[in-house]
Amino acid sequence: MNALADKLRGLRRQAGVMPAPARRPEPLAGNLSQLLGVRQRVSGIPRRTTEPGALPGRTIAPGLQLIETTGIWPPAPTDFHAGFARIDEMIASDRLLLFDTETTGLAGGTGTRAFMIGVADWHEGQFRERQLLISTLAAEAAMLDCFASWLRPDSVLVSYNGKSYDAPLLKTRFRLHHRACPLGGLTHLDLLHPVRRRWRGVWENCRLATVEHQLLRVVREDDLPGSEAPAAWLGYLRGGSATPLHRVAHHNSQDLRSLGGILGHLAANTAPLSAGAPGDGSGGFSGVAPACVHPVLGKPSHP
Amino acid sequence: MNALPNPLAQRAVRQDGSLAAPVSGGDQLARRLAKRYGDRITGSFVLPGREGQFAPLPGDMAPALAQALRARGITQLYAHQAQAWNATAAGEHVVIATPTASGKSLCYTLPVISAAIRQQAKALFLFPTKALAQDQVAELLELNNAGALGVKAFTFDGDTPGDARQAIRLHGDIVVSNPDMLHQAILPHHTKWAQFFENLRYVVIDEVHTYRGVFGSHVANVLRRLQRICAFYGVSPQFILCSATIGNPAEHASALIEQPVTAITESGAPVGEKHVLLWNPPVVNPDLGLRASARSQSNRIARTAIRAGLKTLVFAQSRLMVEVLTKYLKDVFDSDPRKPPRIRAYRGGYLPTERRAAEREMRAGQVDGIVSTSALELGVDIGALDVVVLNGYPGSVAATWQRFGRAGRRQQASLGVLVASSDPLDQYLVRHPEFFQGAPPEHARIAQDQPLILLDHIRCAAFELPFKHGELFGAQDATPWLQVLAEEGVLHQEGERFEWIADSYPANAVSLRSVADGNFVVVDRTHGRQTIVAEVDFSAAALTLYEGAIHMIQSVPYQVERLDWSGRKAYVTRTHVDYYTDAIDYTRLKVLEAFDGSPAGAGSAHHGEVHVARRVAGYKKIRYYTHENIGYGPVNLPDLELHTTAVWWQLPQRALEQAFDHRQQALDGFLAAAHALHIVATVAVMAEARDLQKAVGSGDGAWFATPDANGRAQLRSSFGEAALVTQGPFIPTLYLYDAFPGGVGLSAPLYERREDLVRLARDLVHRCDCRAGCPACVGPVLAADEHSETPLKALATRVLDLIVAL
Repeated sequence: MNALADKLRGLRRQAGVMPAPARRPEPLAGNLSQLLGVRQRVSGIPRRTTEPGALPGRTIAPGLQLIETTGIWPPAPTDFHAGFARIDEMIASDRLLLFDTETTGLAGGTGTRAFMIGVADWHEGQFRERQLLISTLAAEAAMLDCFASWLRPDSVLVSYNGKSYDAPLLKTRFRLHHRACPLGGLTHLDLLHPVRRRWRGVWENCRLATVEHQLLRVVREDDLPGSEAPAAWLGYLRGGSATPLHRVAHHNSQDLRSLGGILGHLAANTAPLSAGAPGDGSGGFSGVAPACVHPVLGKPSHP
Repeated sequence: MNALPNPLAQRAVRQDGSLAAPVSGGDQLARRLAKRYGDRITGSFVLPGREGQFAPLPGDMAPALAQALRARGITQLYAHQAQAWNATAAGEHVVIATPTASGKSLCYTLPVISAAIRQQAKALFLFPTKALAQDQVAELLELNNAGALGVKAFTFDGDTPGDARQAIRLHGDIVVSNPDMLHQAILPHHTKWAQFFENLRYVVIDEVHTYRGVFGSHVANVLRRLQRICAFYGVSPQFILCSATIGNPAEHASALIEQPVTAITESGAPVGEKHVLLWNPPVVNPDLGLRASARSQSNRIARTAIRAGLKTLVFAQSRLMVEVLTKYLKDVFDSDPRKPPRIRAYRGGYLPTERRAAEREMRAGQVDGIVSTSALELGVDIGALDVVVLNGYPGSVAATWQRFGRAGRRQQASLGVLVASSDPLDQYLVRHPEFFQGAPPEHARIAQDQPLILLDHIRCAAFELPFKHGELFGAQDATPWLQVLAEEGVLHQEGERFEWIADSYPANAVSLRSVADGNFVVVDRTHGRQTIVAEVDFSAAALTLYEGAIHMIQSVPYQVERLDWSGRKAYVTRTHVDYYTDAIDYTRLKVLEAFDGSPAGAGSAHHGEVHVARRVAGYKKIRYYTHENIGYGPVNLPDLELHTTAVWWQLPQRALEQAFDHRQQALDGFLAAAHALHIVATVAVMAEARDLQKAVGSGDGAWFATPDANGRAQLRSSFGEAALVTQGPFIPTLYLYDAFPGGVGLSAPLYERREDLVRLARDLVHRCDCRAGCPACVGPVLAADEHSETPLKALATRVLDLIVAL
């Protein structure tokens, strides 16, 4: 097999393929490999040679971790009309299910997977977060089943850009495991769109980090950038440390809380549907200052 | 539809057009041309006409479909269409290889539409070009409308808007696409197509003769991936393939889909008698062996034919030539602007609406002369024609017949004329009429297990679905490849499974038209344009894209101004020089392993693996027509290495000593013989000349021979100075090798046909009109050598005589 590998490498060089930019031990900066605990592997099969440290959460099935926390922020919105998301329906907070995934990348297609699904709801008066994390590829089916079991026929999904990213990605994963996709018929409030309609052109962009900062005055502390999440998980999978996965879970948790906060904001300031579609971020809403008060800190969000 | 090429339209023209009625058929024109230009016609033969063989519409066809066919004026089928229906109904995979315009498309549309009506079965159609896909959908819609069948057919290609894609995935009964879209857009997103795949019953692949060589090897692997995805959704669709006439339709189709295939090769469509003329332009300068241009001759023939009232199609090799010939003909026939034009050009680069309009006019018989590129070679329906003129040899016998097949009416003789250009291949063919008459069409070959191509597609397949340890990909155990990919970090092995783990979309990095992805792009900077005009394989780049090179793109000369080696870009500008450039390359081969060997005359022939080291040391400027060497330029590029497969011939020292006065003479003979063998071998395997290369050296890589400025062999033991090897054993070896790393399967068929090739090469040299040698046989010869006692031609003959089978 090494002979084949050598032969292929030789042929690729002769065909003018540039040296692979792919993962080899060299391109990782020394400190980064240390950080991630990546060691050079002897053969193609990863072997864990040192204690990787504890994974976040508890093991609920082979290779599947559940991280469960509750908190008081953000508070549950009172029953609201979802007109801001162009859905003509009154929604009670106990139907809401917020979700956000962490994935192996943005390339799209069947080769991208979610290794963490974070879900939040308001349960017994508190904001409950349940995060599923797989530590082996084989646990993906169990993760999907567990996630599906949390959905009710009347669940209302809440996400940030989930309609075009997280939901199709999960749909693909369910398909690949020969399972029906449970997200299919559910009402889905994708907050990216109402946020864009109100604040496009007002803020530098409408990324979640920008919105939570502008709208909720959230400042993240020691946050792992979302773009580094895939590397953290891959590092663990290849025999590296579990430590960065705690930071991924933390990052995902903050995303969920911000999502709840933004929803609370939109729900509290929603106009009846008859107000119609706001004029595509035409600046008419730039003066929504009264709305921009942090629900908890009570400080105005716009100077 | 393609079947029964518009009998209605044809009849209509005949009835109302008594004025335009032909005064003679192709046979009369052939006779007239032969009488007037006898010395230009190097070969002429007649293919007899054939009555149609018909069969009733099958009784087990969906009644609504039969109704629709009748509404379109089709009340019976050709025998081969009925045969295809029966074979498909019996569950067989089928390939239909019948001539142009014999109604191939009905062979697949009938079972597909019937199954769509009865079982909501879905079908995927693959065509090599977008234009053909659009034609097919237009035809399907016409049939659909004729019977209100409710079958939904859509094209799905790069032009399909995003919002339409979802609807096509969900509601398309027939999705018409191409291999590139399947590779880059459908398979990597197969979950979005789940419903489509779950109901996929037929896969139709048209024009499979175009899927050969590198492209064909890729397509075979895309089909492996398709079948892997189908298995995931629990279906195993039936394949219906169509091909132009090739020597091995069943074998080729079966190689593509890796399943047994039933071949239908007897056409039941009626054809009139067909006359074929091979035409060599007259010699205008006997000293230089210079002939009149093919263009002038094609123009003359077309003019004569159109004047005689015959519908005429001229095939030209480039877009530019299309425009030139169109102008010449328009100058004669369209001088009156008040009348509708009689001459039309047809080529790629026109807008779809323009093309549709041109096709409509042609079908309706309003056009008398069409000038086209290969765009019309494939199944675009333009109705019946009387005369086809080929301005230059299209590169294969199969393509020649396919183009000639454009002419043909049922009751009347048609004519095809091949006009040779000055290209060596053209000159070879036009002087060997028996090649056309006797030789079967070429075989289409693929090398689906080429290691780099395989690695690319196992990579893409792993992205689509995880692999299990020991899983087969085609006939290969994929495991070693998976381990290579795991080492690269794109796959992760967990237990028995290999899963995609990288954040990349591998299909985007794999082009179906090259081996690996080291291609150079050619950027045209003429007038600040900065647009990509061509792509060149890495292995050919050093030979064709060095700074100063004249690089021909569709017969248009560009000069390379700058070569960015590491950026894989060549910057060119349009030029109008009167010379072309030829790389001076030093190639040293070393045999690594002989797979097979056999005696060849007094010597031996072998097939095996070789190591090629190659350096482009400079280039020559050669003036067109006279082939004068008018200058040199230096080239400074990295050496190239290649592990590939080759076929080679060797002669023992004793045989050489008897036949030649000295080593120099023997080497000259070997180089000259290599030139001739290379020409015939290129024809034999339907290769591009640059995909197959030649070299002369010793078997152990100790030295190699290159022609010097005088066309004489020069012996070198390294890439540095010329040296004369006088010591040690002297075993010159003539190599033909595959120019891709790992090979693409050109050398094995050459080895199989080794005896034929040597014989053909000998005939080529022997029968060439030149005295001492010329580019059409043994390579260019200097004027000074013309009267040598032992011209290259004689030396080449000695070598070929020694290695020809006894």
